[in-house]
Amino acid sequence: MQLKVKAGGIRRQLIAASCALLGAAEGRAQEAQTSDAGTAAAPGLTLDSALGYYQESGGRIRAIEPIVTVQQVQDNGDIWGLNLTFDSLSGSSPNGALTSNKPQTFATPSGASLKGVPQTYTTASGQSQTVNAPIYSVAAGTLPVDSNYKDQRLAGALSWNHSLSRLTSLTLGGKLSYEHDFISGSFSALVAHDFNQKNTTLSLGVNGEFDSLHPIGGAPAPGTDYALFQKTGAKTKQGAGVVLGLTQVMAPRWVSEFNLSADRFSGYLDDPYKIISVLDATGATTGYLYEKRPDSRLRRSAYLENRWGWERASVALSLRYMNDDWQVHSSTAQFRVRFWNSPKDRYLEPTVRWYQQSAAQFYAPWLSSSAAQLTYASADSRLAALSAWTYGLKYAVKYGDDSDASELSVRLELYRQTQADRLAAPPALQGLNLYPGLQALMLQIGWRY
Amino acid sequence: MSRRPWAVGGLLLSALLVCGCSSIGAKPWQRGVLAREDMLISSETLDDAMDDHMYFSKEASSGGRSFAGGGCGCN
Repeated sequence: MQLKVKAGGIRRQLIAASCALLGAAEGRAQEAQTSDAGTAAAPGLTLDSALGYYQESGGRIRAIEPIVTVQQVQDNGDIWGLNLTFDSLSGSSPNGALTSNKPQTFATPSGASLKGVPQTYTTASGQSQTVNAPIYSVAAGTLPVDSNYKDQRLAGALSWNHSLSRLTSLTLGGKLSYEHDFISGSFSALVAHDFNQKNTTLSLGVNGEFDSLHPIGGAPAPGTDYALFQKTGAKTKQGAGVVLGLTQVMAPRWVSEFNLSADRFSGYLDDPYKIISVLDATGATTGYLYEKRPDSRLRRSAYLENRWGWERASVALSLRYMNDDWQVHSSTAQFRVRFWNSPKDRYLEPTVRWYQQSAAQFYAPWLSSSAAQLTYASADSRLAALSAWTYGLKYAVKYGDDSDASELSVRLELYRQTQADRLAAPPALQGLNLYPGLQALMLQIGWRY
Repeated sequence: MSRRPWAVGGLLLSALLVCGCSSIGAKPWQRGVLAREDMLISSETLDDAMDDHMYFSKEASSGGRSFAGGGCGCN
């Protein structure tokens, strides 16, 4: 078996297959776009890897994430791919409660009481269990976070790319992801067909996902009083999606892709670790509720990507519009420019991304104690009206003498998120920073062979 | 919400550009630039995977260029 093949544009075909590994559907058009000489990828093995480090400001979430993708081109042209991803997360995670002018006490997810004494409770299966009910406190004027947050994820994916005919290809993929409180399995199938002398590619992809949730301490009953710790055992959610894509070579230096996609998820869509503060008219905290979201969500999106190339530079511009039946509307624009040096063995790639979303219909930073019965509510800042900017820079060096050379790269990104549509603070909370926003830094080292 | 028309307008303008060109496409011998890796749609697969993980955990939207997926994102 050959470890690496330089001929035949293997990298281009492998991108199509790797998209299935990483959950993407857009790799379908690569052959149509680039098959100038009708060459097929030669048999061989390639490796693509990255190590990411992510850190949020204020000691919040920190993540380390290595990814490895190995792809094998068979003698018959089929491509098999294997992807392994590992995440290790730790730090402080906001629990959804609002910053207060007084100290606040919470139980960790495994807790069953707001008192720091051992508690005995009955599980969903009828067994009696005693826990230490660990608690934590946050100071007045401080965003409530659980500083003991820890999570690890291991995910593996397998893909198979097969040519059904000279113009039609099929890509199948499957993925399993494991966390101690979350297990997910998904599959995808995508058919792509070339037209118009391979200037146009139409594709249709479908995917399905089944998730099993095993929250620490049990899954809270949505919308119930936090102090009562009404929890049950495991929960599930499932979803299915479809992506319709059109890729068009516009000109010798311009390619465009347009995707329409929709998916629907149903089941337990709540974040089991998020609560919401209940305040009286003065702003004093009178209690907390577990958040409660609808049990289904339908999302639709339109995505457009354009790429233009010159001798020593290229530009990628992508636009996305998404909405869902939770009334979240979002717009995204991302702009990348790649500058090559003269021998084309190094490049510099600045990136800027802008994102904006409206709030989910049921988002509320807090609830009023005088409000009517709760229908749906979440104080999860991810469902708030917000905007975000990402600034990034990538530098890469290629080793080798053709387009399939090995590549070593380093990438740095700064992410800054600001919450919009802020409600006026109640009297007791005036002057407090109720909407702290988020800043994060991401460093990634990549190696391709 | 106020910027939604901007995004929709951008998409429509681009669609018009696609439909309005009288001679779109490239002949096989004109594809030297298109064949470059940086001209392949979504060729930055691992970069995008890292970014998408971050955005999925911090924003309400995901997908578009790919299947969105459900995931946990509980942090």
